[in-house]
Amino acid sequence: MARDLAIDLGTANTLVYMKGRGIVLNEPSVIALNRQTGEVLATGREAWQMIGRTPGYIVAVRPLRGGAITDFEITERMIRLLLQRVGVSRFTRPKVVICVPSAITEVERRAVTDAARRAGAADANLIEQPMAAAIGADLPIDEPVGNMVIDIGGGTSETAVISLGGIVALEAVRVGSFDIDAAIQNYVRREHGIAIGERTAEEIKVAIGSADPTPDENQAEVRGRDLMTGLPKTVILTPEEVRYAIEDVVSSIVASVIRCLSKAPPELSQDFLVRGMYLVGGGGLLRGLAERIERETEVPVKMSNVPLEAVVLGAGHVIEHYEALKGMFMGARR
Amino acid sequence: MTPLVVGAIVVLLSLAAFFVIAARRRGHPSDDIDSFRRQIDALSPEARRQTSERMKPSDGRSTDEDGANGT
Repeated sequence: MARDLAIDLGTANTLVYMKGRGIVLNEPSVIALNRQTGEVLATGREAWQMIGRTPGYIVAVRPLRGGAITDFEITERMIRLLLQRVGVSRFTRPKVVICVPSAITEVERRAVTDAARRAGAADANLIEQPMAAAIGADLPIDEPVGNMVIDIGGGTSETAVISLGGIVALEAVRVGSFDIDAAIQNYVRREHGIAIGERTAEEIKVAIGSADPTPDENQAEVRGRDLMTGLPKTVILTPEEVRYAIEDVVSSIVASVIRCLSKAPPELSQDFLVRGMYLVGGGGLLRGLAERIERETEVPVKMSNVPLEAVVLGAGHVIEHYEALKGMFMGARR
Repeated sequence: MTPLVVGAIVVLLSLAAFFVIAARRRGHPSDDIDSFRRQIDALSPEARRQTSERMKPSDGRSTDEDGANGT
C-alpha cells in the first residue's frame, strides 16, 4: 500500500511530503534531457547544476514558469521520476495533493492533475499555495481572526487573508524571484555590457540583493562575457545598482500586498495590526523585503520559521487529515 | 412465482433504491455542520503539531545551499 503524498510543485523547487514520514524530497524543479533522443539525463539538483553549462545536445529546463506547466510532457516525466524516487511504482498508487498558485486557470489545473495521474497517482487533488502556506506556517486559521500570508515563490507572489479555514481575500501576481534574477541579468547587460547566466544572476541576488537598504552592504564582483569583444570580463556591482535593477519587480509585489489588504473586511483588517502578516517562500528571503512591505503598509511583517517548507508542510497536514480536510481542495465545496 | 410478481418486486426495489439515493443526495444540515467542525478541528494547533514535528530535509542538504531559493 502506497503512502499518500503532498507535492509542492514550485517553479524553482519541488518538495514532497510523505504521509507519516515528513519531507522526503527537496530538489530544484529542473530536468536535463538529451535533445536528440529525448532521454532524461538528470533531474533535480544534478540537472540544476547543468543549467547554462551544457553541450549542444543536452538541454536543462524548468518545465514550470509562473507556477504553471509550460511543457506538459516534460512535467509529467519529471513528476513520474520524482514519484519513483520516493517509492511509487506501478503497483503502489498513492493519493496525491499538489500545491498550485491560486491564480491558475482551469486548463492549467487539469494539466497538473492529469500529469500527476499519468505519472502514477491514484487520485490527484489541488490546494492553493497560500492556504497550504498558512497551515504550514502554523497560523491560527481555525479561529475567526484575520491571518495574512504572503507567499513569494519563483514565479508567483500571492497574498491571502484567511479566517476559519477559508480564503477571505486573495491577490496574486505572476511575478517572483525568477523575475528578480531576470531583472539583474538585464541590468548588467544594459549598463555594464556583459552577459551573465541565470545562475550568476541568482548568486548576485543572494549575495548583495535587497529590497531596502540594509546594514553591512557589500559590493560584488561579477564575471560574464563582454558583449562587444566576446571576451570574459569582470565588473563591480553595488547593492544600490541591484536595488535599482529589481525595483519594478519589488514594487509589483508590494503593490499586490496593498491590494489584498484593501480587499480585506474591516473586522479582519484590524487583526493584522496586532498579529502582523507572515512572509513565506524563497522570494521572501530577499534582504529588506519584509522591512519594505512593513514600511509601505504600516503593518508588521514576520518571517515564517519554515519559509521554504511551509507550503509542503501545509499540504502534508492535509494529507495526514485527508477526510476532514478534503473540503479545502480547489473546486471542492467551501 | 409469476413474471408479474417478479416484475413488481423489481419495480419496488428500484423505487426504494431511488428514494434512498435521493435522500442521501439532499444531505442533512447536520452533516454540513459536522463536516465544518471536523475541518476546523483538523486545523487546530494540536492537530498540526504532529505534522510540524515531522519536518525534516530529504537528505540533509537544503536547496538553499545551491542558491536556488525560490519556490
